[in-house]
Amino acid sequence: MPINDVGYRSLKSRTESSLFRWLAICRIGVQLALKSKWVKRIMLAAWLPVTYWAAGFFVFEKAIFAEQISGMGQGVDLNQVTSLALTESITNRFSIFPGVDDLQEVLRTGDIPQIRNTAWRWMLMIFFRYPQAITILFLVGFIAPSLISQDIRSRAFLLYFSRPISRIEYIFGKICVPSIFIILVTTLPALCLYVVAILMSPDISTLPQTWDIPMRIIIATFGLVIPTSAVALMLSSLTQESRFANFSWFVVWGLGHGAWLTIVLATSLQMGLPLFDPQVMQSEVVSNWSAISLYNSLGSLQSYIFGFETFAESWRGIVSLFGITAFSMTILYQRVSSPM
Amino acid sequence: MTSLISLKQITKSFKSVRALNGIDLEVGPGITGLLGPNGAGKSTLIKMLLGLVQPTTGTASFLGFDVRKEGRQIRNRIGYMPEDDCYISGLSGVSAVQFSGCLSGIPKVESLRRAHEILDFCDMKQERYRMVDTYSTGMRQKIKFASAIVHDPEFLILDEPTSGLDPEERETLLKRIRLLASQMGKSVLISTHILPDVQAICDDVVILSHGKVRLCEPLATLNRTAEPSFCIRVLENIDHFAQALEKNDVEVSKNPDGTVTVASPSPKLPETIWNAAHQAGVSIQSLIPARNSLEEVFLSTVTDSAGTGEKD
Repeated sequence: MPINDVGYRSLKSRTESSLFRWLAICRIGVQLALKSKWVKRIMLAAWLPVTYWAAGFFVFEKAIFAEQISGMGQGVDLNQVTSLALTESITNRFSIFPGVDDLQEVLRTGDIPQIRNTAWRWMLMIFFRYPQAITILFLVGFIAPSLISQDIRSRAFLLYFSRPISRIEYIFGKICVPSIFIILVTTLPALCLYVVAILMSPDISTLPQTWDIPMRIIIATFGLVIPTSAVALMLSSLTQESRFANFSWFVVWGLGHGAWLTIVLATSLQMGLPLFDPQVMQSEVVSNWSAISLYNSLGSLQSYIFGFETFAESWRGIVSLFGITAFSMTILYQRVSSPM
Repeated sequence: MTSLISLKQITKSFKSVRALNGIDLEVGPGITGLLGPNGAGKSTLIKMLLGLVQPTTGTASFLGFDVRKEGRQIRNRIGYMPEDDCYISGLSGVSAVQFSGCLSGIPKVESLRRAHEILDFCDMKQERYRMVDTYSTGMRQKIKFASAIVHDPEFLILDEPTSGLDPEERETLLKRIRLLASQMGKSVLISTHILPDVQAICDDVVILSHGKVRLCEPLATLNRTAEPSFCIRVLENIDHFAQALEKNDVEVSKNPDGTVTVASPSPKLPETIWNAAHQAGVSIQSLIPARNSLEEVFLSTVTDSAGTGEKD
């Protein structure tokens, strides 16, 4: 018998509010996910683009600052030479990225506060849409498939549901697990980049010029977290084997995007233009079918949130994401209820 | 008797299958054994008590709460040990018990302290730090039991608690259950197929068959035989003793363990036994009132219900 064995005693402790029981589910999910070396490696890799983007903010602010110094006493507008040089440079280097037209248009105005706000938004949108979106694809692919499938396989759901936990709380706790990782590799670095950009800027007046950007980052995070987590958990709930859910996750992304790329290829051949030519990308067929790719739909939503697409341009993606999320949540709820 | 579980005309149907068929049941404090053949509706009844499945018709209250509407309050007050080998892969034993405590609302640090306390009570030593995935069946049973009691519930539902345990572990677990009931005032509902477990610790027995309650009696009542009878062991030749008893119109049956069971409606049976021993020239080593075996009661109840031709 252990020296400190006191036998069975009544519990005197006060219990926590029932509003936060899901936190226990989330905490244990994060704890278990962090045991994977691959998750740690992906997390580390996810932060590498931050240095590249931080350099981008530095270069941009340096260019603006130099311009402000040379133009002292003549207002804060960029002179035409710098404006044209920047516009040309962006056109040459980044023409395939979305939102470049808006950026060029703002650069031509020469209004520094507006240029700063647009350029920062554009850089952060690209940060969300490209390096971080691909990282999320792998990160969620490693974490989410086992979250519910293992509970079904080991019948651990009885451990949860014999406690004062509702199915909604269970689902919420589980959804929070991939969400936390997504926040750690997108929102947190994006907010860090914003802070870096503020520190690189000449004075505190940049804060009121760019106050909307942290809000956009947070809203974009929600736009990213909810559909991806819902789809990943739905796939996890459909099987007892997490590897099948894992495979399905990559198939959902790959198949949708592959189908869209085929449409792009066919259109470019038909029009006799190179692949990803702006004319091909803006063609009616390619735009109409863009929403079949989950990746494009998320990108479209982010473009809308960061202010580079109007609702009329991005409604297909938004409606598609809304539909996918609603469908996934319904299936998820049904599957979580069915083991009973 | 205060009823902790009160079911009135409860039915539960799954499409065309009727798992519970008009159950009326009152269960009071103490340890109650829930018996029944496979498919009798035990698991459905337990899930219904936990508020996980809703009854199709009828009214049910558990610990004073309505099963239909107040499942959460019920689950706050009960501890459930499932029959299934359920565990969260990747957690150590102590983390698994701590997690169960957290799910019941115990703060994280307090839950860890409590988990250690309960694992000490369950006699889990250093193996509590090993991954649950590597545990033997017996150790998993201990973890499930510890998880069921970590939040100090007032009512315990144990589904096959001793399956997979060796005789020594089984005896120890039954002692723990008995201790919780007698010293800590917990009420327990044990669903099991192991009748000696019920015989050893239960106060009341409920037998379910084909979705109906076939029997709900205190164990002491079930043990009582239809007419006065005794189980006797003698030091010398038991055959002479049996012949002497039969001459006195006493019904005698020999048992495999070398004892005889004697029964007679006569109120003078003890006197007759002593006279027969004197006549046969044997010394009585032990004379104890005979009991019905639970196995006999169970089999006769289940067979009777099957004989009525009722189906699920």
